[in-house]
Amino acid sequence: MTDEYYKHVYVVMELEDGKLVPVSFEMLAEARRLIDIFNKKYKSDEKVVAVLLGHNIKELTKTLFEYGADFVIYSDHPELKEVRNTIYTKIISQIAEDKTIAAKISPDYAEKFKKPRYMFFGADAIGRHLSSTVLVELESGLASDINKLEISDISLNHQHKTGGKPEIYEKTLEMYRPDFSGFLWTTILCLDNRNPDIKREYHPQACSIIPGVFEALKPDPEKKGMIIEYTPKIDEGDLKVKILSRKITKSNVDFDSHKAVVSFGRGIKDSPEQNIKLVEELAKQLGAEIGISLPISKKPFPVSENLASTYMIPDRVIGTSGRKISPMMYMAVGISGAVQHLAGMKDSEFVVAINPDENSPIKNECDIFIKGRLEDIIPKLVEELKKQSTVVQA
Amino acid sequence: MTINIAIIVKLEPDFSEGNVSYNSDGTLNRAETKNTLGPHSTIAARAAFYAKVKYDARVSIGTMGPPIAESALQMAQRICDAEELHLYSDRIFAGADTLATAEVLKTGIQKMQGKIDIVFSGHRASDGETGQTGPQTAWKLGYTFFGNVTDYEVNVQNRTIRVKRLVSLQGFNDIIEEVDAPLPVFISIDPSYKPVFNTISKRLAYEKYEKEAKIRSDNYKQYLRVFNVQQLGVDPILVGLPGSPTIVYKVERIPKGKANRKAEVFDGSNPEHIKKAVAKMREALAAMVIK
Repeated sequence: MTDEYYKHVYVVMELEDGKLVPVSFEMLAEARRLIDIFNKKYKSDEKVVAVLLGHNIKELTKTLFEYGADFVIYSDHPELKEVRNTIYTKIISQIAEDKTIAAKISPDYAEKFKKPRYMFFGADAIGRHLSSTVLVELESGLASDINKLEISDISLNHQHKTGGKPEIYEKTLEMYRPDFSGFLWTTILCLDNRNPDIKREYHPQACSIIPGVFEALKPDPEKKGMIIEYTPKIDEGDLKVKILSRKITKSNVDFDSHKAVVSFGRGIKDSPEQNIKLVEELAKQLGAEIGISLPISKKPFPVSENLASTYMIPDRVIGTSGRKISPMMYMAVGISGAVQHLAGMKDSEFVVAINPDENSPIKNECDIFIKGRLEDIIPKLVEELKKQSTVVQA
Repeated sequence: MTINIAIIVKLEPDFSEGNVSYNSDGTLNRAETKNTLGPHSTIAARAAFYAKVKYDARVSIGTMGPPIAESALQMAQRICDAEELHLYSDRIFAGADTLATAEVLKTGIQKMQGKIDIVFSGHRASDGETGQTGPQTAWKLGYTFFGNVTDYEVNVQNRTIRVKRLVSLQGFNDIIEEVDAPLPVFISIDPSYKPVFNTISKRLAYEKYEKEAKIRSDNYKQYLRVFNVQQLGVDPILVGLPGSPTIVYKVERIPKGKANRKAEVFDGSNPEHIKKAVAKMREALAAMVIK
């Protein structure tokens, strides 16, 4: 049994401009839930361990206990003020394999401790790359963009993993990721090779978690834990990578200051060019910003270069692969409503869908469902909007 | 003095209308869908072509995949005028996760002519969408990794590079970070990357290499080398299924969520319904303004 070498869940916190990124709290909440179930089920005492790197961060460490961490390991150093992949990867990997730290978390396990059992990162501009490089360094597997997690004992008979013999993998993290279509859920497992020909241990079982999926715990000021400081070893050579400047940039797409957003999806397919123009007209009438569903960002239809570069771009994607928005009114035009898309718009105050198919999942997430082809409906809506606004003004 | 560039690309399902095919349940029909050079690989090839034009760089392209993946190499060569094409193809490589794929790509890049100064990869594949293969290959190579790069300039004499990268985080304004680093580096290019060729000398070089790229890609087989596991010299334990820590355990349909809202259904062909719908919409927007 290799179980005794791998303990606890390590959760890598993210900071921007000295503040914790919300996904950090969300990951802690999910780690807490899983570990509580785990400890009960397996009668053990494993911990939620937050890992925090940065500069002048001592104060922040306490907050993490309120959000579900049992332990906080932190490294405070001027050179850690901003994330540099190489430096961060090395320090996080050192922390993950450090026996002295493991001894402080649980002396019973310290002798045999090799690596964390599980490890979580955010699936964003920080965690996506960091998780990739850390897991190469730790020589284990990684699943990305996860939106559901369970721990279970898996019986498996696999040609490579078990050499064609039935085996039970205890305490396995089932990592669910929605695929690009939004209709399929793939469960990914990270498993040791027990096949004698290719025997190898793969721990931690790690994943990156989609921001906004899990709910953070309500902070509990009563919760306390142990803070462990780790003095980082930074290689001189790695300091040659210099961050010269960081500037806030405004995207041309502005969902936040518009009270309405009109998004279009594959339903524009019969005459893309004209239909996008219809959507433009509707958005203009409502003073709305324009969004798209993920498939549109892959430019599935030939339209003029101008329309393509204005609208069929990742910046406009609403959903887990793009923006999460909550405008006063959201209109889904020709969007069937894959889960990823729904995750990006479900907090909108009022939702209108235009769709010919009443069985589309979008119907479960809208307040008004206008049944029909967008080609027929939008011109009527625009006309009626003009009419009704004149009445009010008069 | 110049620089050596490598690009790693991927043959992916073609999501354009007419080429893509979906099953009735909304999932991709892989058998019926055509393949093409991935859109993010295309952007990586454009970033490499910029180096060709600006620094007279030498460009190599690598991909892992079945024999038909050589078409991705040809398409990328057409964009960036590469003089070396690598296809890593062996049944043993099949079924690899990102860690095992990175092992193949790393070994391949080390076999390219000249020591590679910059490797470009796409932001993520449009079918797998993990975005992990790039940074994992970078770490195995020991190259500094930069993700979401929107712009770059090389100082060929000093062997350094300056990149701009986009940092988008939940709940924060987007940030453009400017970073300076010694070569070699590995860059995963942001989808928003747009090369600018604004001087006369660059435009002339652009036209010259553009023509050359067409001729070369018409005769791409001359530039192509195919490597199997032995020719690549990679440890079979580290690639394909044996080298993959992760497996896909099951695939299921995402259960339809329970209705969170009670939709009022309007018939779009009924003028009275349109009138009511618009009134509701206006009401909703007006109510919000008061808030």
